[in-house]
Amino acid sequence: MGLDIAQKKRRIALGCEGSANKLGIGVILHEGETSTVLSNVRHTFVSPPGTGFLPKDTAQHHRAFFVRVAKQALADAGIRIADIDCICYTRGPGMGGPLASVAVAARTLALLWGKELVGVNHCVGHIEMGRTITGADHPVVLYVSGGNTQVIAYAEQRYRIFGETLDIAVGNCLDRFARALNISNDPAPGYNIEVLARKGGRVLLDLPYAVKGMDCSFSGILTRAEELAAQMKVDGGKGPDGEPFTGADLCFSLQETVFAMLVEITERAMAHVGSNQVLIVGGVGCNERLQEMMGLMAADRGGSVYATDERFCIDNGIMIAHAGLLAYETGFRTPIEDSTCTQRFRTDEVLVKWRK
Amino acid sequence: MALETLNLEHIPPTCQIYAAFFRDVSNCEFLHAQLLSRNSEFEYAFIDASSIISRSHLLAAVYSAAIVLLDGTLRTPNVHSEIVVSLNTSNNIADAYRKWGISPGKTKDLVVIKVVLCPSPAKETASTQTQTPQAIWDHLRQHVKGTPTPLTDAELAQATDWPKVRKYYRLNGVPALERLADEQEKIQQSERLAIMGMALRGL
Amino acid sequence: MAAADDAQFPPPKVLTYPASTPPTLITQGAEGRLYKTTHLTRDRPCALKYRPPKPYRHPVLDARLTKARLSSEAKVLERCWREGVPVPAVYAMDPAAGWMMMEWIEGIPVRVGINEWLGKRPEEGAEIPQVEDETPIVELMKRIGAAIGALHKTGVVHGDLTTSNMMLRPRGVDPVSGGTGNEGKTRSVEGDVVLIDFGLATQSMSDEDRAVDLYVLERAFASTHPRAERLFGTLLESYKSTFKKASSVLIKLEDVRMRGRKRSMLG
Repeated sequence: MGLDIAQKKRRIALGCEGSANKLGIGVILHEGETSTVLSNVRHTFVSPPGTGFLPKDTAQHHRAFFVRVAKQALADAGIRIADIDCICYTRGPGMGGPLASVAVAARTLALLWGKELVGVNHCVGHIEMGRTITGADHPVVLYVSGGNTQVIAYAEQRYRIFGETLDIAVGNCLDRFARALNISNDPAPGYNIEVLARKGGRVLLDLPYAVKGMDCSFSGILTRAEELAAQMKVDGGKGPDGEPFTGADLCFSLQETVFAMLVEITERAMAHVGSNQVLIVGGVGCNERLQEMMGLMAADRGGSVYATDERFCIDNGIMIAHAGLLAYETGFRTPIEDSTCTQRFRTDEVLVKWRK
Repeated sequence: MALETLNLEHIPPTCQIYAAFFRDVSNCEFLHAQLLSRNSEFEYAFIDASSIISRSHLLAAVYSAAIVLLDGTLRTPNVHSEIVVSLNTSNNIADAYRKWGISPGKTKDLVVIKVVLCPSPAKETASTQTQTPQAIWDHLRQHVKGTPTPLTDAELAQATDWPKVRKYYRLNGVPALERLADEQEKIQQSERLAIMGMALRGL
Repeated sequence: MAAADDAQFPPPKVLTYPASTPPTLITQGAEGRLYKTTHLTRDRPCALKYRPPKPYRHPVLDARLTKARLSSEAKVLERCWREGVPVPAVYAMDPAAGWMMMEWIEGIPVRVGINEWLGKRPEEGAEIPQVEDETPIVELMKRIGAAIGALHKTGVVHGDLTTSNMMLRPRGVDPVSGGTGNEGKTRSVEGDVVLIDFGLATQSMSDEDRAVDLYVLERAFASTHPRAERLFGTLLESYKSTFKKASSVLIKLEDVRMRGRKRSMLG
């Protein structure tokens, strides 16, 4: 099995993702050059307002829900276990506990069913899924999530990182700010900030803007936004026009500032590599204001923006299945004894053998 | 007529700029008094030529004042005060007048600039008609007691008070100037530093 | 400038006023545009840098950034210029409107000069006659090193050093009016090195920032002129002899090379 995988007409992979608070399992089918999503099931660990998700509780959640989600994914896909060619799982980067619990579960399935394993880089999963769904052929990729902020472009069999955050990820900045305002984590703090921001915007509050070349930094912005939130709770705060500002104004200002930084470093990378396509992936990529701003920039350069909806932007199992299967088709395997996971796993460490 | 019409790059014809240079002016007290009393007949920029290095130096100030006039973003009462302030490296108006404006008892050589803005050449108003080059020159000739002189680099250089200029534009101890042996080159580079200081005014 | 360009890239208002020769769009980058035009009189060529408003950015933020960046660039240029670092002089600016006029630097980019020089020589791998005199290009590397040494001594790091961001100004050119009429005769790697495009420059005295500045150039140099890579050492030696504190920067450069551009990423 597997030796003639490239010749095989229908290839099917099951992918397991759990690097953060989403547990996702999906099944993908490759037929010739086309990819079909057979199933994509997700269960999210939601922590109470004002708190973040801790590794221990999140790992516990993934363990508790794995069997349920896996069964659902198989049922939705309508396939037999015999149809599956390989089991793909997230090798990293991400949170140690949650990663490990899903890796153990994936390994169990592989042994139980006698399938080969493929360890997948989470970021590469996002990129490949984004490319396939949107049809963006050779884009500059902005990867933005709770754990990552990178500007990436493909060159010579690697996804090369042109720019990235120098401290915390943009999604982490938004999530932690949501806690400062006691914004609900259901369905996601970033989504609730986006909704709230639409009600703000009377004033733009002054937040630090930290771009250095193609890199950026968010910790200073978070600190300032938290200070403003605290000030607002005490005395209503004071905007640049002397009038009190609202939580919505804060959300609006935070979004406008951090998204402008992201668009700016993306534009610089596009000018650098001479591309006019941009693909946004990762959980923060669902944000419609970010997509809108990116679209304005791309249009200015005579290009366009490609983005996916929450099914693919937010962490999911299908992207792991897809990227894993691409690697599997080129002969890549992860032997059981090497099927570990790692919190640090750079996007540019992966040899992208399936692209020219 | 020794009134020169200045044609600057990137200045539209709706903005007419005139210049004159008088040496050995004897009635600075009178001219200064007209400015202080805001006599509307004396809407000129009076510039003490001893603080001027060259034509380019002078024109750089006129240009930036004309641009803010056209943009409608004057930060001083009018385009003429804007010219005087444009010569400074800070936004301090009083300081600019002390250094580049006319000083009773001190100013000997005087540059006069007059800017006339007509909304459209077709619609000349009564006031623009009274401000023909001839009318302006007649008025200056009548009120400025001095020797009309061509506004050239050579004539301006004779009036320049270098110790003063070096102080105003912080040109003392500047490595870029100190290593130059050639006097002409030194003057040229001093002019550029002065223009740069003006461009960065208030930053 | 063609009318089509005007429609796609509207010039700043200041360039819509008449001039003896129409402005020419020279480059269009992510940061902004560069036009060739005139300052005050027709015989004073200048470069106008324009940072157009970014449609995606909130207008308040856009205005704040444009103003701050142009101001900072102008301050860096003035500082360098006073200290005798070869950079263009600033002629006029309106940070709020997003433009700055600078001295026009005659000549060709160092990148073009080096490539022309290399183009004259036999292909890599072919027998290179040992007698060939490399002095002109070695001297150019020394002049580049000296210019960067002088820059760092001033407390400025460029932020984007490449051989495209350096000009080779023919010697004996009147720096104000430009043009001697025989530029074509100057050899491809002769002339004074002038550093340009300080859009990403910062004021810094740290060895780390200076080392990164050199590292960026080293990488750009290697990818732009692979056949001249071995000459980079000459540049660093000259940097060292121009700038007293260079030794600690060069030690830091080793570190920077070792760890590559990026630290390891946290998941």
